[in-house]
Amino acid sequence: MHTAPAFRPFAARGRWTIVAILVTLAAVSCGSVVLSIRATARSQHRAGVVVVAARQRTLAERYVKEVLLVRAGEQADPALTASLLDKSAHVLLAGGEAPSVNGDDDETALLPTSGRTVRAQLTQQQRLVRDLAATGSAILAHRPLSGVRLLAGEHVAARDPVERLRVLAALTANVALNAARTIATTSDRNVNQLITLQATVGGVGLLISLLLAWALVATTRRQTAHFRSLVTSSTDLVMVFRGARCRYVSQSVLRMLGRGEGELLGEGFSGLLHPDDRAHLAAMLASGEPAELVLRILNRFNEWRHLDAHVTDLRHDRHVRGIVLNARDVSERVRLEEELTRQAFHDGLTGLANRALFRDRLDQALARSVRSQELMSVLLVDLDGFKQVNDTLGHDSGDQLLQAVARRFDEVVRPADTLARLGGDEFALLLDGAGEAQAESVARRLIESVSKPLELDGRELSVNASVGVVVHLGGHGESDELIRHADIAMYAAKDAGGGAHRIFRASMAQEYGDMLELEHELRDAIERGELTLHYQPEIDLNSRRVVGVEALVRWESPRRGLVSPGEFIPVAEATGLIMPLGEIVLRDACRQTAQWRRDGLAGDSFVTWVNLSGRQLSAGGVSDIVRHALDEAGLPPSFLGLEVTETAIVPEGAAGDRARAELQELHDQGVRIAIDDFGTGFSSLGQLRRFPIDVIKVDRSFVQGIEHDARDAAITANLVTLAHALGLLAIAEGIESGGQLASVRELGCDLAQGFLFARPVPADELGKVLADGDFSSLIDAPAGVG
Amino acid sequence: MWRARAHIELACVAVTAAALCLALSGCGVATRAGAQPAARSVRVTERDFRISGPRTLTAGNVRLDVENQGPDQHELLVARVGGSATLPLRSDGLTVDEERIQAAEVGSLEPGAPGARRQLNLRLAPGRYVLFCNMSGHYLGGMHLDLVVR
Repeated sequence: MHTAPAFRPFAARGRWTIVAILVTLAAVSCGSVVLSIRATARSQHRAGVVVVAARQRTLAERYVKEVLLVRAGEQADPALTASLLDKSAHVLLAGGEAPSVNGDDDETALLPTSGRTVRAQLTQQQRLVRDLAATGSAILAHRPLSGVRLLAGEHVAARDPVERLRVLAALTANVALNAARTIATTSDRNVNQLITLQATVGGVGLLISLLLAWALVATTRRQTAHFRSLVTSSTDLVMVFRGARCRYVSQSVLRMLGRGEGELLGEGFSGLLHPDDRAHLAAMLASGEPAELVLRILNRFNEWRHLDAHVTDLRHDRHVRGIVLNARDVSERVRLEEELTRQAFHDGLTGLANRALFRDRLDQALARSVRSQELMSVLLVDLDGFKQVNDTLGHDSGDQLLQAVARRFDEVVRPADTLARLGGDEFALLLDGAGEAQAESVARRLIESVSKPLELDGRELSVNASVGVVVHLGGHGESDELIRHADIAMYAAKDAGGGAHRIFRASMAQEYGDMLELEHELRDAIERGELTLHYQPEIDLNSRRVVGVEALVRWESPRRGLVSPGEFIPVAEATGLIMPLGEIVLRDACRQTAQWRRDGLAGDSFVTWVNLSGRQLSAGGVSDIVRHALDEAGLPPSFLGLEVTETAIVPEGAAGDRARAELQELHDQGVRIAIDDFGTGFSSLGQLRRFPIDVIKVDRSFVQGIEHDARDAAITANLVTLAHALGLLAIAEGIESGGQLASVRELGCDLAQGFLFARPVPADELGKVLADGDFSSLIDAPAGVG
Repeated sequence: MWRARAHIELACVAVTAAALCLALSGCGVATRAGAQPAARSVRVTERDFRISGPRTLTAGNVRLDVENQGPDQHELLVARVGGSATLPLRSDGLTVDEERIQAAEVGSLEPGAPGARRQLNLRLAPGRYVLFCNMSGHYLGGMHLDLVVR
């Protein structure tokens, strides 16, 4: 079964190759040495054999001479020579120390002779030596030679003993020399073979070593290339320092910075670092302690790149001899972090500080002030005409306006001051170390800065700013309290007509504090849905039936109890809360009317009347809101009536024109329009003709005096006449008694509403009233009842 | 740098190849000349110190297959002799005087190692011949054979 080869780390490769090379070279060397020794030994042996064999010839001839000398009566010792001959013959064959012949030549050590042929020759020589000695002995002893038994197979024909002896000596010498020659020849051949073998072994060993070395070099090259490409393609940034000088930077560093090696090596790297980081890096390089540090370095576009670097001391590593910085480019991360921090503490629209940052700065300033007793001022700025811009030109334009205003404000304030947008059109400014005079000066400049026309979507407009200023005189203080006081001062500025600033005074707290509190509670109430609608029926005095209802908003505050609309509506109007409030009322009224219609409680002529604030009208966009409410509820427009005050529609100028146009548009679609509180607004009667009106409501102030005050009765009579003359209906509000009812009937009022018929009640209770529906008995009752 | 390293590698390979060639050339085998065919083959054996072989032969081409069975080296000379059975010796008294019988010599083999087999082609006319080894003392030691060719 095939199994995957075990992973071999790159760094380990080549180790076995080196071992193999060394082993091969060692084996080859050993082999060569052994072969050389053997060749030398053979050569030495051969030389010894040749010497000893050559000496045998000399000895054999000496032996013949000595025998002749002895026979002639001379002094000689042929026996010694015979024994030397014999001993040498033996040594030649079996090895050992060859005897010294003349006493002056060294003894020669021989190895036992190997080889069948040579041994046969030397054995033959030994036999011939013995034959020679035996023959010599017989001659000297005068014994017949026929008695000498020859061992070597020779058949000497000569009868003369001396000649026989000489022949035997010649045979002995001959065979000895032949043996030496054979040894020399064999030995030469062997030595040649050894040399050949040695050369072969050496050559093969060298070849193997070279192949292995080549493989090793190839592996090393691959390895080097592998690591080089790893380093060069790696996104990790590697730098090597020796002392304070940069000695190496990886390709990735060059890529990241867009710079060349020449700019970075040597002192260049440190030169591009952020001045604050240079000393830090120098300290790290000097100590070499493993450490993490963040460096900032300039790229070729002179932007700071942030490096998260790790220091490794490799000064003792002979391959590196330096301090290595491994780093990652964390610029993106740093940028993101900065961005997130900025987002958390800055307003996304204007880029100014947000409420959280402002609060933080304020807290810090207060904390400093406790120690330093330094003055500071907080300014709250609110744009007076902003809601109008937002509603008429749309939110995009509103946003652009806020941005433009923020820029204007920013030009006014000092860099050290904290300018913030707290939300909506509310800005705040913290002036550290500023007293009243300075704060007032800044407030004036702020107001002035936005009063100059702003270019917005090709049209020029200017806004008023109301500024509330609070001055903290140093020492302990609460940021909440400061902001609240600035808020009150701003309220006072708005109350003064806007476009002005006010310094907070203790007396303001009482005057505007309650109003502010009410505003905050109302804001919460709208969000929590604490506002509900009650409905008061309107009675047709002819048919005696309920023909409509007026929707009246009620606020049941958990803290204040039932709050009168007379109390909270002005606050809502002043603060702009009337806009969301008005929308809620419209939506709920439409939905409820549609429900009654489905329940069969509202006939075709039924109208639900909803009060529109002058602020709603002047803000513009009311026709869209109304249509949206109708569409949402699925209610035909004729079931809805809008009650507007004459002051809301009379104003001249763009706002009045727009309001009238929008009402006309709604009226054209079937929505009924009534003039509320008619007769109180000192309006020109002639203007009534220009308005799309269906109904005139006679103010309750006239109705209440109708019985006893002739002037009230006269005014009422005239109003009813006027209405009828213009083809409008007249409705009397606030009928509380049978007398009042009788009077208005007498004066010709078409419709009436008031406690006499019914108080404003919740929608579900009104269902019962609608179901009963008939007020005949009440209307026909004699005056004075009720 | 890599280029220089590649050159060194090439040089190493070349040196190795040359060394191998030298080593292998030492193992070369010499070629041996082919033996000439002969009409008749006659076996002659040499040993210490005797020559064995036929005593008579018919005239004509003859090839002597000579084998040295003795432990010593031996040569072989063939000479036609007249009436005298013995050959003249040199002054050392140990070897035949080859110069004096040069005219009578019909063929010879150089000294052969023990165990060697050699051939000697002769054209023999009728007459008396002697085969002998003329190494020092060998003739006198008994290494001669008389041959009659008819």
